[in-house]
Amino acid sequence: MRRLHVTALALLLVVPGCSAGSSAIVSGDPNSLSVGFTAEPANFDFTGTDGTAIPQALLYNVYEGLVKLDENGKVVPLLASSWTVSPDRKTYDFQLQPGVKFSNGAPFTAEDVKFSLLRVKTDWKISIKSKMDVVERVDVVDPAHARVTLSKPSNNWLFDLTTRLGAMFSPTGVADLANTPIGTGPYVVAQRRRGDSIVLHENPGYWGKKPAYSTVYLKYIKDPTALNNALLSNGIDVISTITAPDSIPQFENDNRFNVVQGTTNSEVTLAFNDAKAPLNDVRVRQALTYAIDRKALLDTAWAGRGTLIGSMAPPTDPWYEDLSQVFPFDPARAKALLAEAGQTNLSLRLRIPNLPYSVSAAQVVASQLADIRVKVTIEPLDFPAVWLKQVFTDHDFDLSIIQHVEARDITTFGNAKYYWGYNNPKVKELLAQADSGSTEEQIVKMREVARTINADAAADWLFLFPNVIVAKTKVTGLSRNQVSESFDLTGLGRV
Amino acid sequence: MQTRTRNTSVLIGSVLIGLVVLAALLSFFWTPHDPEKVNAAARLLGPTGDYVFGTDKFGRDVASQIMVGARTTLYVGVVAVGIAAVIGTPLGMFAGMSKRWLGEFVMRGNDLVLAFPALLLAIMFGAVYGASTLTAMIAIGIATVPSFARIARSGTLQVMSTEYVLAARSGGRSRFAIASRHVLPNISGLLIVQASVSFAIAVLAEAALSFLGFGTAPPTPSWGRMLQESQELLTVQPRLALVPGIAIAVAVLGFNLLGDGLRDRFDPRLAVGS
Amino acid sequence: MTLRVVRRLAILIASVFVASIVVFVFMAVLPGDPAQVALGVNATPELVAKTRADFGIDRPLVAQYADWMGGVLHGDFGRSYVTREAIGPQLIDRLGVTLWLVGAGMLVALVIALPLGTLAAVRHRKASGTAISGLSQIGVAIPAFIAAILLVQVFAVQWRWLPSGGWTPPNQDAGEWIRGLILPALSLGLVQGAVLTRYVRSSVLDTLGQDYLRTARSKGLRPYQALFRHGLRNAAVPVITVLGLQLATLLIGAVVVERVFVLPGLGSMLLDSVAARDLLSVQGIVLVLVVGVLLVNFVVDVLYTVLDPRLRGS
Repeated sequence: MRRLHVTALALLLVVPGCSAGSSAIVSGDPNSLSVGFTAEPANFDFTGTDGTAIPQALLYNVYEGLVKLDENGKVVPLLASSWTVSPDRKTYDFQLQPGVKFSNGAPFTAEDVKFSLLRVKTDWKISIKSKMDVVERVDVVDPAHARVTLSKPSNNWLFDLTTRLGAMFSPTGVADLANTPIGTGPYVVAQRRRGDSIVLHENPGYWGKKPAYSTVYLKYIKDPTALNNALLSNGIDVISTITAPDSIPQFENDNRFNVVQGTTNSEVTLAFNDAKAPLNDVRVRQALTYAIDRKALLDTAWAGRGTLIGSMAPPTDPWYEDLSQVFPFDPARAKALLAEAGQTNLSLRLRIPNLPYSVSAAQVVASQLADIRVKVTIEPLDFPAVWLKQVFTDHDFDLSIIQHVEARDITTFGNAKYYWGYNNPKVKELLAQADSGSTEEQIVKMREVARTINADAAADWLFLFPNVIVAKTKVTGLSRNQVSESFDLTGLGRV
Repeated sequence: MQTRTRNTSVLIGSVLIGLVVLAALLSFFWTPHDPEKVNAAARLLGPTGDYVFGTDKFGRDVASQIMVGARTTLYVGVVAVGIAAVIGTPLGMFAGMSKRWLGEFVMRGNDLVLAFPALLLAIMFGAVYGASTLTAMIAIGIATVPSFARIARSGTLQVMSTEYVLAARSGGRSRFAIASRHVLPNISGLLIVQASVSFAIAVLAEAALSFLGFGTAPPTPSWGRMLQESQELLTVQPRLALVPGIAIAVAVLGFNLLGDGLRDRFDPRLAVGS
Repeated sequence: MTLRVVRRLAILIASVFVASIVVFVFMAVLPGDPAQVALGVNATPELVAKTRADFGIDRPLVAQYADWMGGVLHGDFGRSYVTREAIGPQLIDRLGVTLWLVGAGMLVALVIALPLGTLAAVRHRKASGTAISGLSQIGVAIPAFIAAILLVQVFAVQWRWLPSGGWTPPNQDAGEWIRGLILPALSLGLVQGAVLTRYVRSSVLDTLGQDYLRTARSKGLRPYQALFRHGLRNAAVPVITVLGLQLATLLIGAVVVERVFVLPGLGSMLLDSVAARDLLSVQGIVLVLVVGVLLVNFVVDVLYTVLDPRLRGS
């Protein structure tokens, strides 16, 4: 009896602190690495299933494209050793890397480039495939030289080739994409345990630099705290992105770990239903934008990690400028604008995905808007299913909060049918000019787009999601910024 | 000795429940701070005179949230147990008073409902109608119906076999009259015990649901969600998890103790004889 | 007795049938279109319609049900809308994890409850008996997920003795498997053990008060001896009933514990499938869970019949 008491007491006492104690779990093999993620791929076929989880695991690691995006957002060579662009900017000539093989042994040639790029139009199912509509034809000049002709000049196209859309497939390797991915990358999928992990093995026939770790376990742990605990208890070596920001200091204060913080493409956006009253009134949108103290929101909801941006462009985009102070926190001004718009008794539905960042930010938004007498009802919806259906597809919302993770997704403001229903012909025109113009023109026009949507308060960009990677000190070469769709394992090294 | 334990149980149970009820009632008129008010400047403060249990990561007062959270807890318990009692009691009495095969049939249906536990039902309901306090309450309520039906039936069977009921039946009293005059008053003690125990289970279920994100929607304070939000801070600020954890334990303990104490008092053998 | 068992079996089959209809109808009214989810944002209505046809969810409900049930009877739970994999093998995999967890949790509960409950009953007039009762009351009041969070914090994060979560299949590394099972089993088992302790106590108390035990004791047997020689079987009957009910509770409690410990069991599969609107999978999982509970109840009923001397004759 007494013993029971003592144990119970010990349990309670130990919790608060005391990180003493020896490590009983020793990570074994130095050639293997375990990386923790939150979102598990449903299958391996990113041509048929949307979402970020599949490219995060496979792109650049298992599949490669002609080009890739480096951590500073620059397009660099991958399977194409070099390329040239014609003066009318419609024809691209790609010189291919020699000696490349798919993991099933088939050689990689210009035929595969043609096969893969044309296949997007014919066989892909996910909606972003329309980005490849601009491809008019693909010619095999010789096995090491592919020529792509576009129907019109497009700056976005080459950039989009760095995403999953540019992944190279072999006609001999697309029979069972959902379960057996076959690419040219440094890793092959060795095993998958659904609900737990995916195991990647080194591809022995890889054409490029041998990866530092011959086996990589991609561990899927949905709960942010459980993910932290896994690293703290030596269950994994790296957390790909921390989603429990208040726990970061415990890693920073622990010399077993390295914390790397950078930026992402992921704008945490308070979306307004621009097409529906009362938010179709620009004064109401501006009022809400003035009423939200984004600095305080970032500090409370995300422990101050992240960047205030003010428009739909992250610092890694060439046209980025800091617009976060255009609408400073000013509740009095907000109230005046609401009065001017005749909306003194506003009640809004904030329909959010039930994800940690969104639930946190929503509570701050609701509290801050209550201060200018706007009543906000938070409705968490199952993500992705219900949110996609009701908010994204049926536009049944006033406000929502979600991360827009895709690169250069500012272009969605040119689509009046997009869920926020922003309809501005000027923005549409600017986007078209930016796509077809020279690189310099592109930057100028895109900057104009970013300024316009900011001035219109088309949405309120609360903050840019930080990329916080925590890893054991033995792991080197972690990229600071997460700007591509891939969690790129190829740059990793070890002490 | 036996009586003393029983009375102690009832006493301690009542005191604990009283605490929860008091906190909930008081919160309608007064809380130290606005429990939903976000305050970046007051983030993660330790306990002080102003903030008795400190503040959470949103700078909200934990004590105020606990008080308003007590409301959520009681609300869920009352409605869930209410649903269960209102459906389960007549069902059980009906099963106990009607022909054997009919009673059996009702009880088999009852067993079928028993196969859908509260948590499972609530997850399914939440998926269909959206997770909210209401769906949680209804799910917990439906899942609790079988316990009431069982207790009501077995109590009814006992009462029906007593001599005075047999006499009333041969005297030509209608079934409804027998049910309301003799059966219900005699099994009410059992039902109260069941209500108390079910209340404890409902509190636990609500906490688990809010923890999983299938319960009360933010920002309305709920003990389960407070626990869930505090998880990432467990190492640094264990207080944030301990306070709602203890609140849940107090409520559950209170209702369990009360139920236990009352069970001895309303022992079926005694109740029927009186 | 045989007749009773056969009748029970008939009821079980009827219940499973009704349950399957309930589950199916429930899923049919879920909002959220699986085809839309699979295709993602901006998919054209034509493509959505085509995908709906591919999935077979554009047909009348009765046809869908008949198809589904027909498959289930042959062990074919269909192919997931989201993962495009057969659900049956996935279910069996996940069920394996959950059953290990529930089994281990039950073991912990029994190891706690049998000795403590008996002790509390035999010494119910002494301080130690009262103390056990009190402690078990407190144990009952602590939800399994709180126990889980605390155990992880202490044994995994602070002391690093045991993994904080994850699952190693027993055939891959038996040692790791056991280490990974300890904390989840404790979280489930401690609370259930507390519940069970109370039932064991009251059941043993009842038995101790029976005439034949009094007689046995008056012949000079000590309480334990009397209990072990004459009373255990009688005390076991109500305990087994509770045990059955508890198995059902554990099966569902595993949902939460699996979440905390990131175990790839039925519970985490259920939550993931609900979020992804993988309706066929949800349908399959719920059916398996419900049938599991019904089966446990059936077995308890049969055991009850076998053990209870009053029912054995009939």
